[in-house]
Amino acid sequence: MERRKFLSMTLGALALAAVPASVRAEDFRKLKPTVWTAKTVDDAIKAMYGSNALVMEGVKLNAPDVASNGGAIPVDFSTDKDVKTIAVFQDANPEAAVLVVDTNKYSVNKYSIKIKMAKSGTITIVAQGNDGKLYAAKKTLDVALGGCEG
Amino acid sequence: MAGIKVKAKLKNGVVNVKSMVKHAMMTYNMAEKKTGSRDNANFITHLSATVNGETVLDMSTSQFLSKNPIFKFKFKGIGKKGDKVEMLAVDLKGKTYKGKGKIK
Repeated sequence: MERRKFLSMTLGALALAAVPASVRAEDFRKLKPTVWTAKTVDDAIKAMYGSNALVMEGVKLNAPDVASNGGAIPVDFSTDKDVKTIAVFQDANPEAAVLVVDTNKYSVNKYSIKIKMAKSGTITIVAQGNDGKLYAAKKTLDVALGGCEG
Repeated sequence: MAGIKVKAKLKNGVVNVKSMVKHAMMTYNMAEKKTGSRDNANFITHLSATVNGETVLDMSTSQFLSKNPIFKFKFKGIGKKGDKVEMLAVDLKGKTYKGKGKIK
């Protein structure tokens, strides 16, 4: 092999290998910055998906009825639908968005996370199906001790 | 050391991953109250996991996750016992956190 060719190939391979996963992945904070500054759940859902016509089925959401510690509320959510993204919103904090998962072909869409809520409120999970529908689930819970003021 | 703890277990063809990122997750309100400036807020903005170079989790997050947030997730179709689940988190200040765990 010619030396020049070999060098350029090696460089090319190196450049490919150097791209970290986070660059290939969808970063919704950069893609849709307005989602993260939206004050209400409705606005955030609209900013994220362009519509807020929710279908209240297909998503399971599990959270305690009363959270003693608002600093770490366990939230489990799952869906059996074929979905592109799943987003978590709540209405107790200054901004609505908590996280957005970009699913992939390996995903089993069942997640458990812990979130903070400053006061009692409603958690909304929205899953965007590949059929374009927005599947959602809501859960209202009481927070005994708010978690956002530290 | 700042990092991510990763535990992964293979069961019936599905890999269950439990992970914890060591991070204060300072919200804007907390930062203002504690340090007097909203600019001191810092939280994880993006979290991803890879197995054998393939992305299995990709999450964009905000400040409303708990302190030292725990993430549990599952994936299938990739990864066997002994493979490593590698996780990478990036926070608002651009600092990266890494962690990996073997699938058991």
